[in-house]
Amino acid sequence: MLEQIDALLNEAKSKINSCQDLKTLNDIRVEFLGKQGKVTNLLHTMKDIDKEQRPKFGQLVNSARNEIEELLKNLQISLNEKAIEQKMANERVDISEPSKIVEKGEIHPLHKVFDKLIDACVAMGFTVITGPEVEYDYYNFEALNVPKDHPARDMQDTFFITDNILMRSQTSSVQVRAMETMKPPFKIVSPGRTYRADSDATHSPVFHQFEGLVVDENVSLVDLKSMLTQLLKMLFGENTKIRFRPSYFPFTEPSVEVDATCPSCGGKGCRLCKNTGFMELLGAGMVNPKVLEMSGIDSNKYSGFAFGPGVDRLAMVVNKIPDLRMMFENDMKFLEQLK
Amino acid sequence: MKVTLKWLKDFIDIDMTPEQLADKLTNSGNEVEEIIYQDKYLKNVVVGKILDIQKHPNADKLVVCKVDIGEITQIVTAAKNIKVGDKVPVSLPGANLANGIHIEKSKLRGVESVGMFCSIEELGVTDYDGEVNGIMILDDDAVIGENIAKTLQMDDVIFDINVTANRPDCMSVIGIAREISTLTKKPLKKQDLYYETCNDDEDVKKYIDVEVKDERLCPRYMACAVKDVKIEKSPKWLRARLVSVGIKPINNIVDITNYVLVEYGQPMHAFDYNYLEGKKIIVRPANNGERILTLNHNEYDLDSSMLCVCDGVKPVVIAGIIGGMNSCVEPTTTTTILESACFDRASIRRTSRKIGVRTDSTARFEKGVDCSLQPLGMQRALSLVYKLNAGKIVKGQIDTVKQIPQDKTMTFSLNKIYKLLGVEIPKDDVLDILNNLGIKSSINGDDLTCLVPYYRQDIECYSDIAEELIRIYGYSVYDSINAKPLSGTSVTIGKHDEILHLARNLKQQLCSYGFYECVNFSLCSLGDRDKLLIDEQSELYNMIKIANPISEDIGYLRTSMANSMFNTVARNLSRKNSEFKLFEVGRVYLPKELPLTELPNEINMLSFCTVCKKDDFFVLKGVVENLLRDFDLKYKLDYSKKCFLHSGISADIIDLRTNEIIGSFGKVHPKVAENFDLSENTYYSEINLDKLVKYQDKKHSVEMISKYPYVDRDLAIICDEDVTVDSILQSVKKSCGHLYYSAKVFDIYRGKELNGKKSVAFTFRLESKEKTLTDEEINQVVNKILKDLNFRLKAVLR
Repeated sequence: MLEQIDALLNEAKSKINSCQDLKTLNDIRVEFLGKQGKVTNLLHTMKDIDKEQRPKFGQLVNSARNEIEELLKNLQISLNEKAIEQKMANERVDISEPSKIVEKGEIHPLHKVFDKLIDACVAMGFTVITGPEVEYDYYNFEALNVPKDHPARDMQDTFFITDNILMRSQTSSVQVRAMETMKPPFKIVSPGRTYRADSDATHSPVFHQFEGLVVDENVSLVDLKSMLTQLLKMLFGENTKIRFRPSYFPFTEPSVEVDATCPSCGGKGCRLCKNTGFMELLGAGMVNPKVLEMSGIDSNKYSGFAFGPGVDRLAMVVNKIPDLRMMFENDMKFLEQLK
Repeated sequence: MKVTLKWLKDFIDIDMTPEQLADKLTNSGNEVEEIIYQDKYLKNVVVGKILDIQKHPNADKLVVCKVDIGEITQIVTAAKNIKVGDKVPVSLPGANLANGIHIEKSKLRGVESVGMFCSIEELGVTDYDGEVNGIMILDDDAVIGENIAKTLQMDDVIFDINVTANRPDCMSVIGIAREISTLTKKPLKKQDLYYETCNDDEDVKKYIDVEVKDERLCPRYMACAVKDVKIEKSPKWLRARLVSVGIKPINNIVDITNYVLVEYGQPMHAFDYNYLEGKKIIVRPANNGERILTLNHNEYDLDSSMLCVCDGVKPVVIAGIIGGMNSCVEPTTTTTILESACFDRASIRRTSRKIGVRTDSTARFEKGVDCSLQPLGMQRALSLVYKLNAGKIVKGQIDTVKQIPQDKTMTFSLNKIYKLLGVEIPKDDVLDILNNLGIKSSINGDDLTCLVPYYRQDIECYSDIAEELIRIYGYSVYDSINAKPLSGTSVTIGKHDEILHLARNLKQQLCSYGFYECVNFSLCSLGDRDKLLIDEQSELYNMIKIANPISEDIGYLRTSMANSMFNTVARNLSRKNSEFKLFEVGRVYLPKELPLTELPNEINMLSFCTVCKKDDFFVLKGVVENLLRDFDLKYKLDYSKKCFLHSGISADIIDLRTNEIIGSFGKVHPKVAENFDLSENTYYSEINLDKLVKYQDKKHSVEMISKYPYVDRDLAIICDEDVTVDSILQSVKKSCGHLYYSAKVFDIYRGKELNGKKSVAFTFRLESKEKTLTDEEINQVVNKILKDLNFRLKAVLR
C-alpha cells in the first residue's frame, strides 16, 4: 500500500522532471490529479483497506497529492517564464529604425533667449510690457532727453516715417510709456523689435532689445550690478562676472557699458573677446533725473536704473552663431542646427 | 576723433605707454577705439643715397645700384624714376611694408640685392600732394642712414577716440589733455600764444564790418585781419601733424585754421579779403534761391533755414559747415580775414543733414562749441601766423559777443550722490577728482558746492557729478561688490505680458507638430503687395512707407504676415531645402490713414506654413483646431475670402460671438505661389492673436458620467459630392435626439462605381442617463437617422 503511494509519487516526479512544455504539464496534471487521475483512483481504493489504516492511508495519499501539486505549480511558473523568454527572444525590433512620431520643431534661438530673460525677470518681480514699434518722436527721443537736433541722435540712424513718427530705434520708448502710467515703485521689462538704418555683418536694420527699468526709492548702481550679474549668470553660467565701463546715453546718468566674462573662454582670453577675457554685452545706467521728471516722477524721491541688452547679440553669443544675418534668413539648415 | 601722443605732450607730460594711456582714457569714458603706430610699416626702412646705377648683366628691365645707407650696399631695382644722387627710402631685411611685403636679402637674376627702394604706397604714407610716382624721392636734407619714420616725421602714435555726445569739450587735443591731467594729477603745461601786431595805424575795423542778424544762431563772431600774407607750404612739422590726424595740408593760412580746430576744438575760417564785396561780413539766414559753390566743388541751393556767412552781396560760407570757392584763400591771396565764431548746434546739424555735408567743423559745432572758446582759438591762430611769419597781423579784433558765459556755482547733496552710486567715495577723493577736473569744489556737511566751468555744459544735476566722480574714481570699485539682487528695492509681483505668453503656448504646440520658428523682418518691399494679389479695396493695401529706407526691399511696413513667410519659404526652396514647416509670431501694421498722422494699428499675428508633400488642407485644419481648442472660442469655418488663398481649399475662422474673422488657413492661391516661386503644395495659416487673447479663459463644467453603457454603431451612406460632412453630422445629431452622445466621420470613399457620388462612413454613440438601451430602441434611432438623411440630404445606405 505504502509502496503503491511511493511508486505513484516517483512516477509523477520523474514525469514532472522530464516535462518541457505546458501541454505535457497539463497532461501530467490530468494523468495524476484529474477526475480519473491516478491519485484520485488510488483514493478510491481506500474502501478496500482496513478501517484503522484508512486515516493513515488518506493522509499519505493527500500529502503525495499536495507534493505533486506543488511540483506542478513550480514547474508551471518556470515553464511560463521560459515561454515568455522564448517569445521575447523571437520578438526583436531594429531600434535604429526611425520613430513614427512627427519630429519636433524648434523655437528660434532669439526667442529662446527672450523667453529665458523674461522668465528670470518675472521671477524677480518684473512686469513684462510691450509697446508700439511705430512710435512718436517724443517717446523715442524727446522724453528720453534727446531733443530734436541733439547730437545724441547721431548715435543711432533712425528710420523716419514722418517728421514726427518713426520706427523706434530703442525699446527705451516703452520706459517712457510705462513711467507715464505706472506709479513707483515698479519693475518692468520690455522685449521687442527695434529698427535702425544700418546693415552689415554686425548690424541688422531690424533687431531686438530687452529693456529693463526699475524705479524705486534708493535704487543704486549696486542694485543694477547685482541684478545684471544674476541675469547674465543665468545665460552664461554661474562663473560669470560683470564689470562696468563708463559710457554715455542721454537717458541715463551715470551711464555704463556692461562687460561680462567671455562665455567662450571663461575669461582666459580668446579670439572672440580679443584676449580681454570680457565681452561687451549691453548698455545700462541710472535713469537721468531729467527723464524721470519729464514723465512725472518725483526725482527727489525716486531713482531708477535701466538696462538694454541687444538680444540678437546675446543669442549669437549663447549659440556661437557666426553671422548675424543667419538669424533672419531662416534657412532650415540653420534652424535645424538649433534642435 | 584723432589726437597724437606728441601733440598731447605739448600740453601735458605723459610717462605711460600708449597702451596704458589708452586704458586710462577708455576706463574714464573716452573710449580709445584704435592705437595707430605711424611707424608700423617703417621699421628697418632707412634713408639711402644712390651713388651709382649700372645695367643688370642678365635683365633688361633691372638696374644694380650702389647705395649709401651709412655703409655702402647694393640694391637691384626696376624703378625708373631714380638717378644718381637721389635720396630714397631703402627697406632692409626684416622690414614689413604696408603692402604686406616682407623684405629679405635675395638674388635677382643672379645679382645680390640687400633690400628694396620704396614707393609711398609701400610705406603706407598718405600723399596729399600727389607729387610722387614710383620710388619716393626724399628731400636733399634727409640724413643718410636715418630711420625713415624720423625723416618723414611719422614717428608719432595716433589715438582714435570715440568722444561721447555729452562731452564736446573733449573734441580737441587740449580737451583730451585736460582729461589726462585729471587722471594723472599732473598740471597742464603753459602755452606760448605770443604774437605781435603791426605798428601802423590801421585797425581791423578799417578793413571789415561784421553784422550778426540773429544772435541766437550766432552768439559770437570774432574777426581779425592779416595783411601782406605770404601763401606757401606750411612747415614740415605742421603738415605732419595735420596728416597724422587725417587732415590734408593746403597752405599755411588754411593749415593754421585746421590746426587750431584740432588743437583747441574751435573751427575757424579764413577769407581772401579781396573777394569780400562791400567790406562787410553779415551772418544771416540765406535767401531762398541763393546758391553757393563750395570747397568740395559742389554747388548748393540755399534756403532761409540755412545760416550763412555773407559779404555785402552774397553768401561766402555755409556757416560752420563749409566755405565757398568765391572767397577762399589761394596762392594769390594778400590779405586774409580770420573768423572764429560760435554757431547754434541745432541749426548747424539741421543744415548739415539737409545738404549732406559733414566736415571736421560740423563735427565740433554739432556737439556744441561754447561761446567762450573763440578768443582762445583766435589767439592761437594769430600766434601761429606770427610764428610762421605768414603775414602781418592788423591791430584790433572784432567781437560781436554781448554776454560771455560765466562759470556756474551749483550745490549738490553728497549723500544723494552716494545713494545713487551705492558706494561712498572718500571726501578727499571727491574734492581731488572735481578740482582736477577744473570743477572747483568744497564740502560743507552734506553740501557739495561746485564752480562748474563754462565748458562743462553737460553738468546740470547731481547725477552728472556722480558720473564725474565714479568714472575717475574707477568703476572697478564695483568689481568686488556682491549684493543680493534687488535687495534694496520694494517687493513687486512679476507678471507676464498676455500676448507674449499666449504666443509662447501656441509656439510650443506648433513645435510639437514639427514646425520651426522663423524671425522675419517686418519691413518689406512694395512689390510684395501685388504678389499677394492685394487690391485697392483691401485693408491690407495701404502700406506705411519708410521716408529714408536703406533699400527698397525693406522700404515698407508689412500689412500681412504672408509675404514674409512666402519669401522665407521661397528662399529655403531655392537653397534646396524641401519638406519643412515654419511659423512666425510678429506684427502687421495697418495705418488708419496715409500719410500717418497718428500711430497705426499694430496687430499681433501668428502665421504658419507647411511645404510637406503629405500635408494637405486637413492636416492644417487639424493643427488649427487643436490650437484653438484651448480657448473659449465658438467659431465656424467658411470658405476664405483672403486674396492670397485658394478660394476652394481654404477657410476663414469666424468668431460666432462677434462675426469677425479671427484667422484663415488653406492652400496658397496658385497665382500667388507662382509669384513667390513656391511649390503649389504650400499651405498657409494665420491667426490674429489680439482677437484670440480675449478668449483665454476656457471654462469647463463637468457632468456626471452615465451609469449605463453607451452603444456605438457605424453606418456608411452614399450621397452627392456637394453634401458636406458637417450637414450629415448635424442631421445625425438631430435624429438621435436626447440619446445623442457623439458622431464622427471615419472614412470618405470616392470610386468609379459610385458615379460621382461619395460614400461617407460615420460612427455615432448613443447613451441614456436613465437606463440601458435596448436593441429595439437602438434600431429605431438607426432607422430614423437613415430616413432623415435620405429626406434631408438624399443620402442612401451604402
